[in-house]
Amino acid sequence: MAIPLFSGKVAAGFPSPADDYIEKNLDLNELLVQKPAATFFVRAQGESMLGAGIHPNDILVVDRSIDPVPGKIVICALNGELTVKRLARDNEQWQLKAENPDYPDIVIYEELDMVIWGVVTNVIHAL
Amino acid sequence: MQTLLALVDCNNFYVSCERVFRPDLIRKPMLVLSNNDGCVVARSKEVKDLGIKMGVPLFQIQQLVKQHQIKLFSSNYTLYADMSSRVMSTLEAFAPTMEVYSIDEAFLDLTGVCYQDPIAYGHLIKKTVVRATGIPVCVGMGPTKTLAKLANFAAKKWCKTGGVLDLSDPVRREKLMRIVPVGEVWGIGSRTTVKLQHLGIHSVWDLATQSSQRIQSQFNIVVAKTVMELNGTSCFQLEEISANKQQIVCSRSFSRRLTEYKELFEALAEFCSRAGEKLRRQHSVTGCLTIFIRTSPFNIHEPQYQRSATIKLGAATQDTRILINAADRLLKEIFKTGYSYQKCGVQLSLIRSESTPGQFELFDISDNDLPMENRPLMATVDQINRRFPKAISIAATGFEQSWKPRAERISPRYTTDWQELAHVK
Repeated sequence: MAIPLFSGKVAAGFPSPADDYIEKNLDLNELLVQKPAATFFVRAQGESMLGAGIHPNDILVVDRSIDPVPGKIVICALNGELTVKRLARDNEQWQLKAENPDYPDIVIYEELDMVIWGVVTNVIHAL
Repeated sequence: MQTLLALVDCNNFYVSCERVFRPDLIRKPMLVLSNNDGCVVARSKEVKDLGIKMGVPLFQIQQLVKQHQIKLFSSNYTLYADMSSRVMSTLEAFAPTMEVYSIDEAFLDLTGVCYQDPIAYGHLIKKTVVRATGIPVCVGMGPTKTLAKLANFAAKKWCKTGGVLDLSDPVRREKLMRIVPVGEVWGIGSRTTVKLQHLGIHSVWDLATQSSQRIQSQFNIVVAKTVMELNGTSCFQLEEISANKQQIVCSRSFSRRLTEYKELFEALAEFCSRAGEKLRRQHSVTGCLTIFIRTSPFNIHEPQYQRSATIKLGAATQDTRILINAADRLLKEIFKTGYSYQKCGVQLSLIRSESTPGQFELFDISDNDLPMENRPLMATVDQINRRFPKAISIAATGFEQSWKPRAERISPRYTTDWQELAHVK
């Protein structure tokens, strides 16, 4: 999708004096996707991350190449299922935290079948 | 400076693509089936360990599938192509020159890039690719393509290597070559292998220590070059620019036998559309169209029939409508009623760049009433279809397409269709 960006107002009916000033097109990819090869879109289900502004049916932009450091919202494969949670580290203990009081935090133990899949960078939410 | 080439090869590529979006299937036995869900085209390690071979028909292994609850997938080429391009563009950052060798392999020229510690560099490539794309790879390195390929084979086979192996060192090279059978060498096919074995050449080392002149006299120049490559002399160059295809083929087996002209023509029209699309994507035109139709060679109790027909086009074209028109005329010549057709296909040849001035006839007296070439129309159709897949098709391709090959176990197109994204809880 390409939306031309004007730096002046457009006069209807006249050849616009701003024509010469079209500077570039705005591309949402430029805003949302840093590494195309590592960026995937997934669809959110459930309400565990409402507090982070992730609603059911939203599209999440996920960059697999970003370091999953504490504080990031991550997609992880937990017991074979893709899930979105906030990665946290309290007192040396890694956790996956929901942002909804109705959902319990998940403590990451050694033996837990858990792999971090990618880091969520943006939420696309239709109004 | 010594040349250093790397072959990066994805592990069980199709299986790995499926697993990126289905972490529940990691470490589970699974396999991917060919078009029409007929034969095995990719196997997970667990399936290889069961002794299931590449290419076997599904019906021959039904028992094992049941017994071990092997997960089956129809091939999802849309997904595999997208994942492949992600892997390849991730690899581009690691070498100034690269050859995409197949959907899941690429040669990288690492000469002078990582002379201090090639192994560490190999591990970095491996780690970066799996991290970015979810696809695990192995890295084989050596001074020639053949050695890089051999190193990759060994890196895959022996987990002790950690998936990265460099065969630049002649001592290590010899050690490995002595224990690998000659048939594993790149470019040595099964027939050559048998012939080599008759001459007492069993291991890679046996081949590498032959004189290339003797091999050339008994085999051919390619095998002789392979001998030189095994000894570290580069004979096969990196082919950077993926040459445009000189031939485009589209064919499929049907999900059921077809008997009517109309059905067969619809299938051919569909293949013409796809071939035309491929042709336009590589900015080419074709001067020659061949179609073929055939009954199933496996149904020995039914009457057999197979024919092909070719037409040289008056003017080279990239217009799907012209291809379909020509296919229709050809089919009328070779179609016979009373047979159950199992497969058909189209092939385009005499392909050249669309910008080459062709022998467009002065008066396009299409002896044949073919429609006039309309490039802007086709470009518009392609543009719309890229945005809305399958939005526009030529009516001749039919609407039901009940002949379409079976793909009952196909996974979603996770990366190319907004409606089929993976779900996260």
